[in-house]
Amino acid sequence: MLLNWIARREFLERLRDGRLYWAGGLVVMLLFTALAVGWAHQQGAHAEQVAAQAMDYRDWLHQDKRHPHDAAHQGMHAFKPEPPLSMVDSGINPFIGSTVWLQAHRQSEVKFNAAQDATGLQRFGNLSVGWILQVLGPLLVIVLGFNAFAGEREQGILRQTLSLGVAPLRLLAGKALALSASLAVLLVPAAIVAAIAVAVGAEQGERIDALLRLAAWSLGYAVYLGIFVFLVLGVSAMSATSRTAITVLLALWIGQAVMAPRVLSELSRTWFPSPTRLEFNQQLGAELKAVSNKVWQENFGTTERWGRDVPLSKWGIALRLDDQASYPVYDRHYGRLWDTWEQQQTVQEWSGLVLPILAIRSFSMGMAGTDFSHHRRFTTAAELHRRNIQDLMSKDLVVHADPLGDRHFSYEATPDLWATVPPFDYHSPGVGWALWHQARSLAVLCVGLLLAAAFAAFATLRQRAL
Amino acid sequence: MSIHPPQGHRLLAVMRQEIRLMLAERGLWVVGALFLLLVAYALGNGLIQTAKRERAQAAVAQADRDTRAGQRVQLEAILAGTAQPTPFENPADPSRMASGYGGQHALLPTAPLGPVALGQSDLFPSQYKVTNQSRVVFMNPSDIENPWHLLSGHFDLAFVIVYLLPLLIFALSYNLLSAERENGTLRLLLSQPLRLRTLLAGKLTVRAAVLLGPAVLLPVAVLWIARHVGFAGVSSAMGSATLWWALLVGAYALFWFALVVAVNAFGASSATNAMVLVIAWVMLVLVAPVLLNLAVTRAAPAPSRTELATRQRVVTAEAMKRYQDLLGTEYQHVGHGAILVPRNGKIEIAGRALANYKIEREVDDAIRPALDRFDAQQARQQQLLGRFGAVSPAAVAYEGMTALAGNGVRRHARFEAQTVAHHEAWKTFFFPRIDARDAFTPSEFDRIPTFAWQEEPAGLMRGQAALAVLQLLVPSLLLFGLAALRLRRFSVA
Repeated sequence: MLLNWIARREFLERLRDGRLYWAGGLVVMLLFTALAVGWAHQQGAHAEQVAAQAMDYRDWLHQDKRHPHDAAHQGMHAFKPEPPLSMVDSGINPFIGSTVWLQAHRQSEVKFNAAQDATGLQRFGNLSVGWILQVLGPLLVIVLGFNAFAGEREQGILRQTLSLGVAPLRLLAGKALALSASLAVLLVPAAIVAAIAVAVGAEQGERIDALLRLAAWSLGYAVYLGIFVFLVLGVSAMSATSRTAITVLLALWIGQAVMAPRVLSELSRTWFPSPTRLEFNQQLGAELKAVSNKVWQENFGTTERWGRDVPLSKWGIALRLDDQASYPVYDRHYGRLWDTWEQQQTVQEWSGLVLPILAIRSFSMGMAGTDFSHHRRFTTAAELHRRNIQDLMSKDLVVHADPLGDRHFSYEATPDLWATVPPFDYHSPGVGWALWHQARSLAVLCVGLLLAAAFAAFATLRQRAL
Repeated sequence: MSIHPPQGHRLLAVMRQEIRLMLAERGLWVVGALFLLLVAYALGNGLIQTAKRERAQAAVAQADRDTRAGQRVQLEAILAGTAQPTPFENPADPSRMASGYGGQHALLPTAPLGPVALGQSDLFPSQYKVTNQSRVVFMNPSDIENPWHLLSGHFDLAFVIVYLLPLLIFALSYNLLSAERENGTLRLLLSQPLRLRTLLAGKLTVRAAVLLGPAVLLPVAVLWIARHVGFAGVSSAMGSATLWWALLVGAYALFWFALVVAVNAFGASSATNAMVLVIAWVMLVLVAPVLLNLAVTRAAPAPSRTELATRQRVVTAEAMKRYQDLLGTEYQHVGHGAILVPRNGKIEIAGRALANYKIEREVDDAIRPALDRFDAQQARQQQLLGRFGAVSPAAVAYEGMTALAGNGVRRHARFEAQTVAHHEAWKTFFFPRIDARDAFTPSEFDRIPTFAWQEEPAGLMRGQAALAVLQLLVPSLLLFGLAALRLRRFSVA
């Protein structure tokens, strides 16, 4: 009863001094703009990728008679599907590209990132719902709550309230409730609109999953903003004046929202350095060559390509041997590189304990399906599809090895062979998979919430000394 | 006027007094130390990143030189009859030398001011391996970078100046006049033969000196020392870029000081001033550039990369179909190794290899219009940014600084254009030789086109920097004008 009373009073006060209207209105306006932009982008990109993927496979099937290795060279493209939740957080997608060319001999990397086509301003951030909540959300909490205790202390109300016998923790709970309610008034309508957009935007089969992801995503942000609710109240309770409270809170906000992502990014790279392109290519190339030579020596008794010992009629077998030997090499090298990237990210997620933005950034992307683990899964699926194409083509070349000795490349396979390759039908993993991969960042956020609540309780309990 | 004697020595007195006051307060020490720390970290980081990039580039250039030298030695051995070429590694075959086997890198060197603003250097490739393949194949991001880092951006000096310098300016001066008034000292001060604007000028000069000192002088000194101790990552001839960079930082700081003065001139309380300034910072530094980026990409949207991928596949398929018969030709060298060795200055090129060369050539021609559309779009975005960038001083300063550091979009577009020109020269050099089946000779190694980076003309750089400075000065003057208007009616009580 008393709790409700405190919360209602706090909430009304925030309405009366206009902070909720101005600061909240601005954030909500930005949120809706971001959602509209995200929606338009997601819908456009998704339709385009689906169409391109279908056309790619249709063209593959409609190839004329030709040499299977030529078909493998031309290959296929795998287009990364734009997940429905990319409309709320585009994550690393603008920086990593969305198309893999599945061609003979080499594992391709994903090409065509949107960042290539943008201006330098993109380094200020891309407007997305996620960005606004991560960066401006805490600021909103600060603006709404910095004087919750400190302001009352300045006016002398706090002493009176406490002298009436109101338990400090109850006071804290009431204020936290009011602050959360203020945020909910602003954000819940936006979340409902986002849910409708996601439900409409997602395809039939993935709608439930997309909504579950959005629910988990929203929960993550609720925890994130909850951390700041307690932090703001705690600092406000510790501060003698509102001025001290806002100065400390703004400094903390700048440290975590503006500086932390860059500093931790640089630090994690120092701790887990990635190779340069030249180093990576040289090591990969050297190992591929060594493995290939070993295979040739074992199977043909020579490493000399296409001489008397190994005529071109053995092209299919040699190709298959080379390909099969190269797969583990690629897995090892790319695996190592990607593990390094994941280690770098882990450093940032752990630092979310003190800098919650890093944990929520990871969690948000993970739930939206736009983080690196989703990307890695897609790239791996695309590579497996490439290997499948190569293996099917090489198998046909082995079967149709040239009996004449010098007619190897004039062999032409029929379209029946093309039809043995299935379409590349990739689906994003489910919400359970995403949650499992983001368990760490979610746990970090929850621990952060507990720490913040404990801090606020500690700060409020000290009030009695007043 | 007579009540105000010449203000020159009074200005000095104000400054002396301000310095004394600020030294006595903790604020200056905290802000100053924090700023020094941030500048030092950002600068150190910039130097390390740049040095790393330069080392990587040097390694690429060295690998290229080694490969070329090895190929030459091998060719001489082949001609002397002491070595036997293989079909895919044959320096006598111009179609092989034109391809990835003989291809070499075009490298974009670091500009003298590179370490102060890393800008787009991690996002845009600074090396392309130029071959006879279509540029749609080789002109792709070539550096390995964790996308998470690309998303975060670098902690460089440009970041410290664009994002953090305004906050430090606020910390030192948000209560420039309001505090004096709240303490009741303003009335006292102005009862002396001292003008309000002299007082303001004195206070501003001291604060500007405290912050601009580390922001401008420290980096210049560090770069100068780094250059002289031979630290990689700093090239010689810093030239007028440094001067323009200092002007740009100065103009950017001036804008924020002007804002502080204008806000103070409205005579609100210190707390209100602080709030207004922080809101202005959030809007101008965080929100406006993001919205501007959005507006520019909406107004001049990039052509679809998905469509480009599809187009590339279609033209490749068409070309492969056209040369299907040639692709079906056998490698005749099998069993007759001598066929790979040049005879009378001519060389046999296997049908299949020839087909691949012709296919690449066709793909490059067919895909060019699509690629040109991307270049045109980027130029248009940049043009829009030049026109409307002024809505956010942070955007102007950031773009200006990255441009001066040579890590901006414009210099990279220039690198791409020069790479395209080099690619044309490469093709012009090799294609007639391939068509005529002319065997490649050791003496021709020296005539292979090499990529030589032509730096941006200094005039262009100066012009752009001057425009950025102007885009910062105009709003600053407007703010000062507004402040002057308000200060006429400033109430000291």
